[in-house]
Amino acid sequence: MGEPVVREFESLEGMPQAAADGLRQLLWALADTKLLLGYHYGEWTFGTPELEAAVASCSLSQAELGHVRLLHALLRKHWGEDPDALVEVRAVADFANITFLDAPIGDWPACVVMNAVVDLTATRVLATLHGSSFRPLRMSVDKMLDEERHHAHHGIGWFRTLGRRGGDGARAICDAAERALAAAALWLGPAGEPGDAALVAAGVKSTGNAEILAGLIGDVTAMADQAGITVLAPAPASFAHWNPNSRRGSAGGPAEDIVFHLRGAANAMFKLGE
Amino acid sequence: MNALPVYEVFARSKHDEPLKHVGSVNAADDDLAKAYAWTLYDEESWVEMCVIPRAAIVPITSHGRLPVWGN
Repeated sequence: MGEPVVREFESLEGMPQAAADGLRQLLWALADTKLLLGYHYGEWTFGTPELEAAVASCSLSQAELGHVRLLHALLRKHWGEDPDALVEVRAVADFANITFLDAPIGDWPACVVMNAVVDLTATRVLATLHGSSFRPLRMSVDKMLDEERHHAHHGIGWFRTLGRRGGDGARAICDAAERALAAAALWLGPAGEPGDAALVAAGVKSTGNAEILAGLIGDVTAMADQAGITVLAPAPASFAHWNPNSRRGSAGGPAEDIVFHLRGAANAMFKLGE
Repeated sequence: MNALPVYEVFARSKHDEPLKHVGSVNAADDDLAKAYAWTLYDEESWVEMCVIPRAAIVPITSHGRLPVWGN
């Protein structure tokens, strides 16, 4: 008996509608998460405990914004989305980022957790798109995954360093990591969510979100063990009011001042080509 | 004074070029050294980059002294 044949898609033509809709939502969610990651890493170009970490934060920010461009280009080409509108016009409540990123990242342990857990969540999703049946996406994913290796080194290194040092820093990364895991669980959505199931069935994604969450919890637990701390797995999230577009369980969105800066609202009059 | 270990960074930009020393980073462990080297010395698209703890370098000449590139 041979391997099951999964059709390859050069475009959305022929892709089941549920998978095409699920993919659009997933690309939105990845792009929004990476946009917020880029913003927060950029903020943390200053205030890091050492100069090397400042350079790294700046570099991570650039990489995330580069990934946003790749994802927005896919949304433009295949769904006709306007990348500017996705950032500048869309209602804040529609932003589908991981909610950990909604508020300012207040201290270095939270920034480390953003790197080690939140960024990793998006990377774990990207990893399920490696070898995707949607060829245009597959060609972008490998570049992103290659860059994300360096993000992981930075996150893991600092997570371990702060954990092993103990004291307030270790307690702070425990608290932040538990918040991050709960936010990641919500963002990934309920097991067997129809859009996600359609993506797996069409070979666009290799595994479903429930498996991704289990793998993520395993990664964080292993990292915590190395760091000598305990991070509790999140309690089952409530998906009673979960919205597959915003990947949130209730109304919300990034803080207004963050969105103001993301949109460049103060400098809108200087935009070219208007 | 920075008490963190020093890692020397080596890289090559083409497969047929030898590895060359491009700098050093201070880092708490190997993972951070890799991240810092990659983000700090990004002036070229390296095909290969590696870090080596300075403590692991065995000098042959100038025994007991820092390598000539040492900071």
